[in-house]
Amino acid sequence: MTAQDDIDGLLARVAAQDRRAFRSLYAAAAPKLFGVLMRMLRDRTEAEDALQDVFTRIWLQAGRFDPGRGRAMSWLVTVARNQAIDRLRTRPRAPHDGDDAVAALADPAPGPETRLEAEGAARRIAACLGELETDRAGAVQGAYLQGLSYQDLADRYGVPLNTMRTWLRRSLMKLKDCLAR
Amino acid sequence: MTRPPASLPPAASGPGDDPPDEDDALAAEYVLGVLAAPEREAVTRRLRDDPALRMRVADWEARLAPLNAAYAAVAPPDLLPRIEARLFGRTRQRRGLRWWMGAAAGLALGGAVATALLLALPFAPVSPPGPVQGVATLGATLATEDGTLSFAVAYVPQTGTLAVSRGSGSAAAAGRDYELWRIGADGVPVSLGLLRDTTEQRTVSGLSEGIVLAVSLEPAGGSPGPAPTGPVLAASPLTPR
Repeated sequence: MTAQDDIDGLLARVAAQDRRAFRSLYAAAAPKLFGVLMRMLRDRTEAEDALQDVFTRIWLQAGRFDPGRGRAMSWLVTVARNQAIDRLRTRPRAPHDGDDAVAALADPAPGPETRLEAEGAARRIAACLGELETDRAGAVQGAYLQGLSYQDLADRYGVPLNTMRTWLRRSLMKLKDCLAR
Repeated sequence: MTRPPASLPPAASGPGDDPPDEDDALAAEYVLGVLAAPEREAVTRRLRDDPALRMRVADWEARLAPLNAAYAAVAPPDLLPRIEARLFGRTRQRRGLRWWMGAAAGLALGGAVATALLLALPFAPVSPPGPVQGVATLGATLATEDGTLSFAVAYVPQTGTLAVSRGSGSAAAAGRDYELWRIGADGVPVSLGLLRDTTEQRTVSGLSEGIVLAVSLEPAGGSPGPAPTGPVLAASPLTPR
């Protein structure tokens, strides 16, 4: 049983109100989820606060995860990302520096549980992003990984908001078509 | 059916370029996280009642999930104790479900204490908040031994609506508050808040048949800890209505 299966199995037991499974899930998944929150919130105290909210939601909403629809870890990351974005949008922040704008997809320290299984899918999306202009690919990745808003992106790339919107929407549709090939 | 998004300038078309479906683009923007607060909130609200939009969001989540590999893990502090305290409460003494039922039913002394602390009012028959037509409803009647204080509870699992109305007895004496608790199978109580008005309504998730609700008498502001500190005046499990 791979570590990935563990997380799927643990989440199913959490949905059944298994508190010991909840503790194991924390041990297994909290580092990745905390990594997500740190990347997006860039503030340790806030990330710790958010992590509590994330696991509270995981306990209360584990029953909503549909195993037929994807991996448990992806669902957990979605919970974390949504929590971070909600916090970012209610607290106005200064635009981030451009250091991540064209960050490579390769993670300097990917977890062993994600490396092998994600490689194929990660390669596919990397290839499709590679078909976009560098700026556009960077905007999509930057937005996703860091939780940048349209305003953040417009500021970073020095274009009007509506232009950024057009660029991004078109890029997303191209990405969708490419992934469907 | 697709139509060009109203708010954007017309897109230059290229080979195979269809005007994007508005909801599909919105779903992508939502998942990416680029929407400003008002637009994001609007989508969140729509998602509750719009299964088609939910599906589009789920599709985009799946499409972009491989990007998650780029998030590096960062060792967090052990926040489990705090998370569990918030979710499950903290009790030094593990009390089983039966203890709670006994605590209320067997508290003749508690009843007397409660009566001494309350303004005595004649017992009034209480009709519980009616079940919503055609919608599964759970209910409970929480009453002291002598009936001088009772609460009727109705809960609709579908919406999470919890309605509590005080059928007999009056508000807690000055310096005191009634506090409502839920007790699951593990016997750990979780506060559902104070009962001050004659009728109270709030949204609570996760109550189901068999979960015990209990009312305790606490200092004003409620129990200073995660468990009742005052006498448990009444307790009853939720049953279908």
